[in-house]
Amino acid sequence: MKARRHNPEVEDHGIDLAPMLDFVLNLLIFFIITTSFVKEAGVTVVKPMAATVEHRDSGNILIAVRANGDVWMDRHQIDIRDVRGVIERLHVERPEDSVVIVADKHSNAEVLARLMDAVRAGGIRQVSLAAVPRSGS
Amino acid sequence: MRRRRNRDETQDAQHGIDLAPMLDFVLNLLIFFIITAIFVKEYGLEINRPASYEQSNPDGSTITVGVFGNGEIAVDGRVVDLRAVRANIERAHAAKPQGGVLLVADPDAKSGLVIETADQVRLGGVWDITFTTAE
Repeated sequence: MKARRHNPEVEDHGIDLAPMLDFVLNLLIFFIITTSFVKEAGVTVVKPMAATVEHRDSGNILIAVRANGDVWMDRHQIDIRDVRGVIERLHVERPEDSVVIVADKHSNAEVLARLMDAVRAGGIRQVSLAAVPRSGS
Repeated sequence: MRRRRNRDETQDAQHGIDLAPMLDFVLNLLIFFIITAIFVKEYGLEINRPASYEQSNPDGSTITVGVFGNGEIAVDGRVVDLRAVRANIERAHAAKPQGGVLLVADPDAKSGLVIETADQVRLGGVWDITFTTAE
């Protein structure tokens, strides 16, 4: 009994878990770092095209405006007068967040202006208007 | 002799931390973060809103671009095509280099046209765009 225990063949009594564990931990760290908790709007709209668009990493509160003027935030349709309160709450939770307004190209500019004012009144100064990047001009 | 063998076995059994619960936990975390990871890439144009009354009322150094409800665009009072906005802005910017652009849109103008106009203004070299609506 004692002789078998010291036999080198018996010592690898299973798969070596260490490389798999290293790999899994690396994956975990990658996903923790890249997760950004984007608040998606919940509707798809037709975005205008623009050549001078830029990408903002912290732009993760999306507000969608449909062609008929409906405002969608966080997968719910909300009244435009409630946007300010929602933005205030989100700004307190994560102060580094910024807002991207995803407006349908057929929506009215008045909704856009009122939304931008509501977001600013809610405390977030970084507002950008979404567009589809177009190469060249 | 028998006592020694017993002690050997217990020492063999605890030759390291038990990794299995930690591995379960880490795998659960991993699955959670994989599921919640959303790779949203939203591209956008940054446009200002007037912060004060003076900013929404153009002085001499501001280029005024109007977007009307019927789809017309006017640069400094002259109606131009969307494709001609860039050239007009370049010319006006050369005349008034330190001025920004005041983008005045009708309330019923299409926001797609507003954004495309702002894009053309930026292509013309002016990145300081203030967006306001005509009451």
